[in-house]
Amino acid sequence: MSVDTASPATLAGVGIGLRARHLEEVLAAHPPVPWFEVHAENYMGGGMTRRALEEIRRSYPISLHGVGLSLGSADGVDRQHLRRLRALVEWLDPAMVSEHLSWSSTGGVYLNHLLPLPYTEESCGTMCRHIDQAQGVLGRRILIENPSSYLRFRHSPIPEPEFLAELAHRTGCGLLCDVNNIYVTAQNLGLDPVVYLDALPSALVEEVHLAGHARNDAGGRTILIDDHGSPVSLEVWNLYRHAVARLGSLPTLIEWDTDIPPLAVLQDEAGRAERILGGRLLTGLHASAA
Amino acid sequence: MPALREVQAAFRDALLGGDDSLAAAAIASDGMRPDARLRIYRHHVFATLTAALKATYPVVCRLVDERFFDYAADCYIRARPPSVPCLFEYGGDLSEFLGAFGPCRHLAYLPDVARLEWALNAVAHAEDAPRLDPARLHAIPQQAYPGLAFRFDPAFRLLSSPWPIDRIWWAHQPSADPDSTVDLGAAGAALEIRRVGGDPVFRSLDAATHAFRRALVEGCCLEAATTDAFVADPGFDLTGAVRSLLADRVVTDVALATLGDHPEG
Repeated sequence: MSVDTASPATLAGVGIGLRARHLEEVLAAHPPVPWFEVHAENYMGGGMTRRALEEIRRSYPISLHGVGLSLGSADGVDRQHLRRLRALVEWLDPAMVSEHLSWSSTGGVYLNHLLPLPYTEESCGTMCRHIDQAQGVLGRRILIENPSSYLRFRHSPIPEPEFLAELAHRTGCGLLCDVNNIYVTAQNLGLDPVVYLDALPSALVEEVHLAGHARNDAGGRTILIDDHGSPVSLEVWNLYRHAVARLGSLPTLIEWDTDIPPLAVLQDEAGRAERILGGRLLTGLHASAA
Repeated sequence: MPALREVQAAFRDALLGGDDSLAAAAIASDGMRPDARLRIYRHHVFATLTAALKATYPVVCRLVDERFFDYAADCYIRARPPSVPCLFEYGGDLSEFLGAFGPCRHLAYLPDVARLEWALNAVAHAEDAPRLDPARLHAIPQQAYPGLAFRFDPAFRLLSSPWPIDRIWWAHQPSADPDSTVDLGAAGAALEIRRVGGDPVFRSLDAATHAFRRALVEGCCLEAATTDAFVADPGFDLTGAVRSLLADRVVTDVALATLGDHPEG
């Protein structure tokens, strides 16, 4: 089976993270969404879900977002899983392929979470080896996304934005900047999110993610949980404005994974992000006309 | 500073085994205890895996009620965590686990209901396979047909149970009459699970057809499968059985088993 497009489309504007609950609506109504992002691990089988993606791919550019490669595992990357990802990439020919700065597997167990890494020379070497391996097997460049964190390791001498920059520098990968994750991590670990964002190498960032988070009281203080279960918060919208000013009008994704609302709610969120992206475009035009 | 592999093993033990001590020692305390921070990660792992099991086993969940299912899922995840990242592939041995799980061992039919739900899930997500090319069959001389072996679609399963698991399944659908009852003493089930229009469905087969298809799925040639079917029912109609097997579009390839030429793959 192959998809009848000549070359992968490029992403522009504000896309939406496509979830199972919206598949039927997207197939029936063809909503005006510039592009969709799908989780690779949900489409590694056959049947109805694969058929739905095949049809959606004919009408929309697709970005493929992996959540299971576990690039930060000291045990190495699961070769069988990487082969399945390659088969999916070859079939889908997505506009982008992305994964995470995290790990999930150890000792043959897959923990189903994007778990945190200590940022050391050792973990940097591990990540780089596995990104090289993935890019080699997939035959294309991937983007690496910053995680949300609820803890800091005692020994983690490299700041996260520098660590990401080093990965990109050593492997040639691009970066995916999740603005909500920056805000969540900064709040949970006592960092300044603007300083974090400004430390990212802006030329290497190629996609932006936005989502909602929850506030939980745990252990006597407030912790932000990256649950993708609510509208983007005011603070994250403000940080996004700063991101757009600094990084430019990058393709941006709205994600929602818990208590998923009707597609129209996600489209409203996407519209809000579009206005911020568009405002930046207008400012840019104004500046070049002056 | 422990090596990365040790940090990750300690994390796994903290998240699955409940022993936080090694992982906690690697985590900075700033303002919140390391065990409270680890609890956030543990909660996510268990909540998402439990949700995945509920999506695969909705009838089992209704049969034991949701609070018991959450408890059983928690024990199952600790005992048999996933080894692969695709969640639709997680939970294949829940039936075996439930069969040995003390608090629900008295529900003797429960593991077989779980097997049916797993078969429906596996059929829904099975790799797409090509249909049988009729030329493959026409190339084989009719007198050699007793030696025919069949390759089946990955989205095809057979399942039998001494319990009426099909009726239990129907009685626990959201649309079922809540007052309906199932007689557990009724006959068991001989089921076939396959895709129709992309959706996984099951249906009951008569004993001879089930025995016939079971033998073929296990790799027996047509002659051996026919023998099995006649044992189940001396009135078995071979021509009709082969015709309906091909019409059901569950065969992907044929070859002569007697020549050692098994279907490829």
